[in-house]
Amino acid sequence: MDYFAGVDIGSTMTKVVIVSDRIEASLIGPTGPEHRKLANRVMEEALRQARLTFEDLTYIVATGYGRINVPFADRQITEITCHAKGLHSLLPSVKTVVDIGGQDSKGIKIENGKVMNFVMNDKCAAGTGRFLEIIADSLGVPLEKIGELSLTAQKIAPVSSTCTVFAEQEIISRLAGGEPIANLMAGIHDAVATRVYSLVKKLNVEPDIAVTGGGAKNIGLVRALESKFGQKLLVPPEPLITGALGAALMGKDIFEKYAAEGQKPTRSGHKLEEATFFK
Amino acid sequence: MAEEKKGRAVATTTAAKIPKFVRGNLSATLKAKEEGKKVAAAFIADGQDEIMRAMDIVPAWGESFSGVCAAKRDAEKYLQKAESDNFSRSLCTYATCNIGFDMIREEQGGAMPEGAPWGGMGRPDMILGNGQLLCDPRFKWPQATQHYQRDVPVFVTNMYYPPWDPNVDHHDQEAIYVKYATEELRETVKFCEKVTGKKMDWDRLAATVELSDKTWDLFIDTYELRKHIPTPMDTGDAMNTMVPLTFNLGTQEAYDFYVDLKAELEQKIADGVGVADPEKYRVIWAAGLPSWFALGDFQYFNSKGVVFPVEVTYRGCEKVERLDLPKTTDPLEHIAWRWVRYWTHWYDAARKRPGSTPKVERIIEYIEDYKCDGAVFHSAFSCRSWHAGIMQQAATLKNVYKDIPILIMEGDIVDISSYNEADTHNRIDAFIETLAAYKKRQG
Repeated sequence: MDYFAGVDIGSTMTKVVIVSDRIEASLIGPTGPEHRKLANRVMEEALRQARLTFEDLTYIVATGYGRINVPFADRQITEITCHAKGLHSLLPSVKTVVDIGGQDSKGIKIENGKVMNFVMNDKCAAGTGRFLEIIADSLGVPLEKIGELSLTAQKIAPVSSTCTVFAEQEIISRLAGGEPIANLMAGIHDAVATRVYSLVKKLNVEPDIAVTGGGAKNIGLVRALESKFGQKLLVPPEPLITGALGAALMGKDIFEKYAAEGQKPTRSGHKLEEATFFK
Repeated sequence: MAEEKKGRAVATTTAAKIPKFVRGNLSATLKAKEEGKKVAAAFIADGQDEIMRAMDIVPAWGESFSGVCAAKRDAEKYLQKAESDNFSRSLCTYATCNIGFDMIREEQGGAMPEGAPWGGMGRPDMILGNGQLLCDPRFKWPQATQHYQRDVPVFVTNMYYPPWDPNVDHHDQEAIYVKYATEELRETVKFCEKVTGKKMDWDRLAATVELSDKTWDLFIDTYELRKHIPTPMDTGDAMNTMVPLTFNLGTQEAYDFYVDLKAELEQKIADGVGVADPEKYRVIWAAGLPSWFALGDFQYFNSKGVVFPVEVTYRGCEKVERLDLPKTTDPLEHIAWRWVRYWTHWYDAARKRPGSTPKVERIIEYIEDYKCDGAVFHSAFSCRSWHAGIMQQAATLKNVYKDIPILIMEGDIVDISSYNEADTHNRIDAFIETLAAYKKRQG
């Protein structure tokens, strides 16, 4: 049996998926500043979960913004391509992907699992998970609770500031003025959804539309996005692993392409050990 | 790592002469006084090149100097100086870098600011502007420059061309625009005569204009060699090889440069040498000035097998015969016709394609001629007059032509604080993967 691993090093979370003809293991851990160490540890844990050794892996693909810092990966592919591949394997009807990550947000147009076009916001925290994290922190609400909380809002309290720093100030002022937290959270989700929608709509959006990334785990944000797009959005069972899953599947494709010609792809030759970069 | 970065395969050796051109232009402004010549603060694509050259006026190119500061990653001190006098960071950073430099030099009584890149630029004796349609800071930049050099006379012409309207045949309006532009140029000559105390030598001007026309033709003949597969020259080089056309038009040196470049490209084609080996994807640089501090990004593209055989940027000319200019014995009128016909060159084609625009039509022409698979636009935030329309151009291109892969990069021309190399390369990587999928789909 051949096993293929995908390692997705995002700005806040590192994800590893191991596949054969099915998903053998998937694991999520915080990224932190030392990518190489963590990639190593999350991979070890994923291998334990799958009851495999590193030597059992046939091919490894790294993705995400930290992909170049995975010395044991055989190949690096961007998260745009890997998200498209991973999502297509889970939800084949999807033609547009909205990915809301910790430090960027993007829209991807896909056709048969291939990327046809993409847009990306990596310049401004507004419209990303970081924005929600900062606001949740200011309001003293755990990040994982803000989605449900916003659904209890009586009304959407509009947040006019387009900058994270000024929005935070605006929220604090509105809170002091007696606005319920739930209304403010609904306003924040509406603001993020507005920014993401204005980015993604440049793609000539076609249904089905799916949401991935950490933002997809926030039901309040998903509802706000549905209101902007005017349709129900699909969310994969674990929206954080689509990139890593796609990376693993890309590895499988690469291997099979070579195998069809009676060849094997070049491996990195690195062992699964802590990189010396941080020592 | 399994994947190894490949270095840039080939850059033209002729392009290596460009620093000499740029340094030469800067040092000419410093030597002008001892040579009894006048220096004019000048702006590119203003239609005044031949007038200056025919009157031995030394141009001090603000955009060139700001570009040098940016390329040396040494512009911040000048940007901050301009900002200290309330010039916003969102203004043209060519202008603010140059104004900041002027401010420091004036505060020092005309002495060159210490550490000025490549020796700095000389103080002008006059400021020649052109409030034309290319760039809105052209209206205020000359005036702002004079604000810090009160004794320096300023003259701003207004050379226009018919605005694009798909329902109007601009040929009906050309003559009036040419007449207006010719008069503006005539006033420019009068102003220059007054400042220099010399009369225009009209025969010399005519010869200079003739040399410019020859340079335009040679430039296009040279650049069209890049249609060859693999392309012998990339936009990374073109951002340098544009210098003689853009800053030295009307000089023999500029013409000779393209003679050498053409010979080199012909040799590369004969030898089968391309910029990238293998050349996987051909892409047009569809709009936008480059980030001068990040020209290495072109090599990043090249290292992944992506080449730019053509660019819209700094291709400020066309084969003169294609412009079908009316005959005239007045060199100023000839410049005016060339001006109007160049800027309206893609109007007729755009009118034939519903929903298109001249800028998009130009991109389509180049994509077809140079066999491009995709398009890259660079949106430089401080150059709003051009870059504000980039999103619309990209959308129109997809709507009226075809759904080719498009990358919109974001940054600036001078302000490095807008740039993030890791994110930029991430976008480039994703774009290349999109190109791969597109080409596979095309079969």
